Amino acid sequence: MNAPFYVEVLTRNGEVRHRQRVDALPIRIGQGYDNDYILDDPHTSAHHVVIDRNEAGSLDVLDLGSRNGVVHKGKRRERLTIDGNTVFRLGHTNLRVRSADFSVADEMRDTTFHRWEGWPPAVTGLVLLALLSLETTWLTDTDKTETVRYVTAMVGMLVAGLVWSGGWTLANRIFAGQTRFGRHLFIAASGMVVIEVVSLLLSLAGYAFSLETLTRFGGPVMIAITAGMVFFHLVTISPNNGRRYAIISVLLMLLGSALTLTFNYQNRGMLAEEPYMSELFAPSLHLTADHPIDEFLAETGKLKSGIDEERSKALSEEGEGEGDDEFD
Amino acid sequence: MRLRSLLALTLFCANASAAEPAEDKVELPTPSSSAQRLYSKAKADIVQLRSLLKNGRTQSSVGSGFLIGNSDLAVTNYHVMSQIALEPDIYVGEYVDTYGKRGTVELLAVDVLHDLAVVRIDRRGGGFFNVPDKLPTLVQGQYLYSLGNPLDLGFAISEGAYNGIISRSFYDQLMFTGPINAGMSGGPSVTVDGQVAGVNVSKRLDGELVSFLVPVRYVRDLLKRVAAQKEVPKDFKLVVGKQLQDHQATMMARLEKTPLTFKELKPYRVPVWESDQVRCWGRANGKQSKSYSYDQVSCAMESALYVSNQTQTGHISIEHKLLQSIDLGDLRFAALASRSFQNQSMGGHKDTRYTAPQCTEQFVTNGKLPMRAVLCVRAYRKFPELYDFTLLTASTDSDRMSLQTRVDTSGVTYENGLRLARIFLEQASREVQP
Repeated sequence: MNAPFYVEVLTRNGEVRHRQRVDALPIRIGQGYDNDYILDDPHTSAHHVVIDRNEAGSLDVLDLGSRNGVVHKGKRRERLTIDGNTVFRLGHTNLRVRSADFSVADEMRDTTFHRWEGWPPAVTGLVLLALLSLETTWLTDTDKTETVRYVTAMVGMLVAGLVWSGGWTLANRIFAGQTRFGRHLFIAASGMVVIEVVSLLLSLAGYAFSLETLTRFGGPVMIAITAGMVFFHLVTISPNNGRRYAIISVLLMLLGSALTLTFNYQNRGMLAEEPYMSELFAPSLHLTADHPIDEFLAETGKLKSGIDEERSKALSEEGEGEGDDEFD
Repeated sequence: MRLRSLLALTLFCANASAAEPAEDKVELPTPSSSAQRLYSKAKADIVQLRSLLKNGRTQSSVGSGFLIGNSDLAVTNYHVMSQIALEPDIYVGEYVDTYGKRGTVELLAVDVLHDLAVVRIDRRGGGFFNVPDKLPTLVQGQYLYSLGNPLDLGFAISEGAYNGIISRSFYDQLMFTGPINAGMSGGPSVTVDGQVAGVNVSKRLDGELVSFLVPVRYVRDLLKRVAAQKEVPKDFKLVVGKQLQDHQATMMARLEKTPLTFKELKPYRVPVWESDQVRCWGRANGKQSKSYSYDQVSCAMESALYVSNQTQTGHISIEHKLLQSIDLGDLRFAALASRSFQNQSMGGHKDTRYTAPQCTEQFVTNGKLPMRAVLCVRAYRKFPELYDFTLLTASTDSDRMSLQTRVDTSGVTYENGLRLARIFLEQASREVQP
């Protein structure tokens, strides 16, 4: 432990908010102006602690009889031996003391693509959003082509994209000190494009292989993509917490899917979004064999027992709660 | 569907707004002297029938009825008594006669198919209305006098002309060109010499004075059934269910006897039934869109059976539509066809009348036309072995055309529902290109 020493004030999640060099021991810390490090924290005393070397050669924090004391890992300590990674709390302030010979972590590999900042991703995002709005409008434009429809759709889409990425930019500014608006806009636009492409692919696959489930449960897939978008926004704000953000995104996805399925179940009596697959494409895209009518009707015939069971179940319920019928 | 909404049963419901009938600008003609004579003689034997909520005894719907001979039996419409038949726990009947006397009503028999009911009340008739075995023969143009209590305003008589038997409804009805208003349901229509010709039942909302009567012969048959009946059915739901079964069997038999008509939606040939009871209408988008064309043939049975004020059944409707691309690409046409095939209502799962619909879906072929087919079924909760079927198909033989069919069949057995679906699945075809 060699001089000089650095007293660091940390945020709750461990980032350095303020750092001050102190050239020699002991280091006196408190609200008073005769300290080596002055705390702007009304929950600390004028002379709160003093930090000095102990017999073993490492540093000790010694409480000078303050009201709120020194807290480390939730416990109040009269004397606390610290190293460069010990974070202790005085009043509301989290502190750490490091000496000049503190060995820092290895240099991280830089995975950020620095040229993809600012205008290039922002413009790409805007172009993607514009194209997406044109595509969706064009797809449903079967009557007279009216320019105003395209313009309205585009404006709507751009505003939505800007509002969404504006929110993330604000969060970025607050938590990481920089805006990265272009990045956020690009992520938002890409996410929306992916949603559009995936839903088209799901419909196509559902039609091609007669996999009705794919189109009927499109909701959770779209939620998963949205959760992916949120993940990239979070990583853009703070690149070093990928693991934590991945967990948050997965939880968000599960919650969103559960909500959608519950909503479907309550409103439609089934988990799926629609009672049948409504997507139709060109015949050449349909790859499975056609069933004979007999087989189709036999399949429908099999539904009878289930329907009758539901009816008798409903009847017995009605018998219990007499008169809950809604005839008027 | 279209016509059903035009046909109003002449039942005056509590939830019908009082202002609504006033907009109906049909004024009762001044009764002739024969009407005066008839009314004074018939007065003692006509009653107003009300269905009351047991709880609070407020009236929920009102209709009319008439006492047969000197008996304590009164005839009315089934739809006047439907609440009492289906929900005896909630509703109870009451009559009020022209002197203001009230009393209880006991339901004895119903005929859902012809919309008739017989009730017993606690007073006897004066013998004015009789339903003999030999019924009067009616001549077109002959005067008929309709009695009842329109809109709960008071007893009234109205004059009109008999205009023959109409075959548009599934069972024969008489056309009466005279005013029948809500509340007159179940009242009698008599000839000038007091013979019962029919029972007031409904009117067309889109016409003037176009009203309908149930022919008296069905009244005669029902009264005979009542006379032969040893005890009053405990649960009229079972009786109604049985009659609905009979109706669907008759309907099936009649449909199967009617040869299918094929309509051309070029290049496709689509099957429909077209008869007096099932009418077809066409529609097209004309020149509204330059990028695709749209043609539609819809056929529907003109009448449906009234079961309760929320349920009508025993009905079939067929809709074929053809979408053809003019200059839409594959993808845009696919999107158009998908939208048209999407979001078709199959009924909800919270309905107290039906179970939630369940569907089968497959790519199918009948050898002539490959299709995407969806068949959904739901059961009636109150009546056993009765189902509603909805068949949806979309042709999958062309990337520039989509023939989409929807067939709704209500109130049939499972077997008959499947049989009807089979007809439409098997008969759709594409003409061989010349």
